[in-house]
Amino acid sequence: MNIVVEAKQIKKVYGAKGNIFSALEDIDLTVMEGEFVGIMGPSGAGKSTLLNILATIDDPTTGNIVVDGINLTKMNEEQLSAFRRDKLGFLFQDYNLLDTLTVKENIILPLALAKLNIKELERRADEVADKFGIRDILNKYPYQISGGQKQRTAASRAIISKPSLILADEPTGALDSKSATDLLESLKDLNEQDKATILMVTHDAYAASYCNRVLFIKDGKIFTELVKGKRSRKEFFNKVLDVLSALGGGANDVI
Amino acid sequence: MTLFSLARKNIKGNFNNYFVYFVTLVFSMVIYYTFTSLQYSEKIQESIELSDTMSFMFGVSSIILILFVAIFILYSNSFFTRKRKKEVGLYAILGLRKKTIAKMLFYENLVIGIIALVIGIILGTLLSKLFAMILIKLMGSITDVDFGISFLAITQTVIVFMVIILFTSVQGYRLIYRFKLIELFYAEKKGEQIPKVSLISAVIGVLLLVVSYWLILKPFPDEFTTEYLIKNYGIAFVALFIGTHLFFRSVTVYLLRLSQRNKSRYYRGTRIIETSRLLFRIRGNARTFTVIALLSSATICFLGATYSGYYSNEKRTEEVVPFSYSHLSKGPEFDSQVESIIKADHRHPIKAQLDIPVIQVKGILSFQLDYDINPVQLISESTFNKAANALNKDETVSLSRNKAAVIQPRFTEYTKSVFKGENITIQLPQESSKLPFVHMVESNVLPFDYPDFFLVVSNEMFAEIAKKEAPLTYKVYEVENEVTAQATSKKVNKLVGNDFQVSSSFYTEYKQGKEGNAITLFIFGFLGLVFLAATGSIIYFKQLTEANEAKGHYEILRKIGVSRKDIRKSIKKQSLFVFGLPLTVGILHSCVTLYFTSNFMSNLIGINLIVPILTAIVFFVIIYAVYYVLTVNTYNRIVNK
Repeated sequence: MNIVVEAKQIKKVYGAKGNIFSALEDIDLTVMEGEFVGIMGPSGAGKSTLLNILATIDDPTTGNIVVDGINLTKMNEEQLSAFRRDKLGFLFQDYNLLDTLTVKENIILPLALAKLNIKELERRADEVADKFGIRDILNKYPYQISGGQKQRTAASRAIISKPSLILADEPTGALDSKSATDLLESLKDLNEQDKATILMVTHDAYAASYCNRVLFIKDGKIFTELVKGKRSRKEFFNKVLDVLSALGGGANDVI
Repeated sequence: MTLFSLARKNIKGNFNNYFVYFVTLVFSMVIYYTFTSLQYSEKIQESIELSDTMSFMFGVSSIILILFVAIFILYSNSFFTRKRKKEVGLYAILGLRKKTIAKMLFYENLVIGIIALVIGIILGTLLSKLFAMILIKLMGSITDVDFGISFLAITQTVIVFMVIILFTSVQGYRLIYRFKLIELFYAEKKGEQIPKVSLISAVIGVLLLVVSYWLILKPFPDEFTTEYLIKNYGIAFVALFIGTHLFFRSVTVYLLRLSQRNKSRYYRGTRIIETSRLLFRIRGNARTFTVIALLSSATICFLGATYSGYYSNEKRTEEVVPFSYSHLSKGPEFDSQVESIIKADHRHPIKAQLDIPVIQVKGILSFQLDYDINPVQLISESTFNKAANALNKDETVSLSRNKAAVIQPRFTEYTKSVFKGENITIQLPQESSKLPFVHMVESNVLPFDYPDFFLVVSNEMFAEIAKKEAPLTYKVYEVENEVTAQATSKKVNKLVGNDFQVSSSFYTEYKQGKEGNAITLFIFGFLGLVFLAATGSIIYFKQLTEANEAKGHYEILRKIGVSRKDIRKSIKKQSLFVFGLPLTVGILHSCVTLYFTSNFMSNLIGINLIVPILTAIVFFVIIYAVYYVLTVNTYNRIVNK
């Protein structure tokens, strides 16, 4: 199996002389193809910083990151943009949909930017719309649909370019429990059936229980790691809760 | 903490928000002060000969300026207040009484206004000298401009702006009473929705534009009445106004929607982003676009027309006063006196000098002409040819014995065909003779004097008539470089007096025309500059507000993988649309109007006005381009950093 993400010795330091705050300290992370990895930790632990660095939106102070065989630290801005467009799919808590575009236009945006031909573009749009059950709302605008529908739209956009890696930042954070479960089920299907590689930051233990493996971060360092293995989701959920209570600070976030 | 100091702290803390408003205020004041100080400048009034016209023009323009400045300030004030609604809401939540907040806003506005006024007047004093120099240069005077402070102008500026400032301050005072608390908080969150396509209003918009163009371009009717003028152009203007608005509101929406239909184009690259953003914003922009298109077309029209007048002054003067000096012969002594004055001017040597004998007779046309032809002025064929030659005109006539050629009366548009086949009966004391017209020429030889009806007759005929009716002799001189012959012209004018309705020397007529045109050109140029700056700033402000709202939008795009370069390109395209569309429409409107006026004008003065009109348009486009670059850079800095 291929390695999708290989990050070594990642360090992120904020601030100037005298007033230094390190958000990440020597993080090593490897994600294999077809994995569904969760990253958990209390607020301010550095989860989002890590995700942003992997997403190439932020750059590490030191360290080396290879995604899908490409070394991120050696690319310039334009190459990084192209890389994000072609290799990464994003899912955010606040959906990040463009409200000037219809649902369909939002979904196909990455393909349009990559100047894919129109037939292939339409075919893929239909395919993902079916997958997430949003066919009926394709011509609506974001301000006309519900939060769950928005997040499914965002998920469709994230996978339409068949990215090597899907990065999800608290995707269920703003959803009601029904919509959250729907979304997580969809992500699981995506992972199991299409072998999509997903990296998800969350502080919701329920969401984390859908992953194959969960990394816990505290104060910028990896605290521990849980692998689901043959456990049922329920058992895994309890395990995650145990670690969280050991971690402290995160207890309030449990549903 | 007193209210006053709270207000002052607010201004300090919110400097960025205030800055734009402040700049607007200062700008308006500088413009107004400069204008009024020019109006009251004695030096300028002294240096020109038309000071009645000038003060009238200045007076009217300063009223237009007040109106415009007031609207501009109110606009930016409302723009500025909108940004601060939330802050005001916060004060209310923190427990300040409504009355206290209202007072605070009142003071704030007053403080800003007064500071702006002081700065405006100081800057205005500096700038007014510059503008005075421009005006004097345009008029071709050599007076030196002093660096003075005009108290009249200061008083007037202070009064006008204190009224405006008090008004906006009262508006500020009322803000808290006008809205509910909740409305203050959600002021900036009003979501815009995608506009619906209305084919009907798009069609009506296009139709109205077509109708108004047609009305404007329609040739003059035979009978030209005020009623026609008001009706025809009144309707044309209203149709143009509404049509333009509908154009921006519906036609552009329709066209953008149409461009979305072609999926393989639309779904390619960043076009999808730009088109949808423009579509989204169009409703909010339609009114601004309309105002800007109409304002810029009016400005281009006025600038083009006045610049044409300025530009064509020399040509026009050559028609009205063909020779450098002309006078009626009043005996050898008088004539030689004039001659010696002209000869004494060594810097303007005489190129040609001739006598033009003219016989004044009574004549009756064989047809109806709505021009008073009597007394008909006859000149001989050889005199005409000599004069035309001296003026470097290549028109010559050769006539058989009893034929005549007419010289086109000035300021009329009679064509050859009017006189073709017709004749004139010349009445002499004992007899009358019938002269058929064979020709019409356009070169004039004497200064304009109504009625301007000259006939060229054959030499034999002229000699024959001269026996019965003694000719008057005009002495004319053509000198080198006549446009600078100020001193000699003055002397000649004094001696000659009023032989004609216009001046007897070219220079005087030329100078007067130049001054008159320079003043109109300056005033329209000044107003044009103000309109231009104001419309440019309005788009600029609007785009910046939009940029602040669109920050999130572009952040998403960056995350999805649009490079900074592409975002910049996309901003460029959108701004080009926002600046280009109203400008294009404005230029189109003004071209149509100018086409009409220039047809009308070039008939009068006989020259092509393409150069001055193009100059005005190019000037306009260049200033807009500066605003465009400025907007793209700032926009880009806001969303793409």
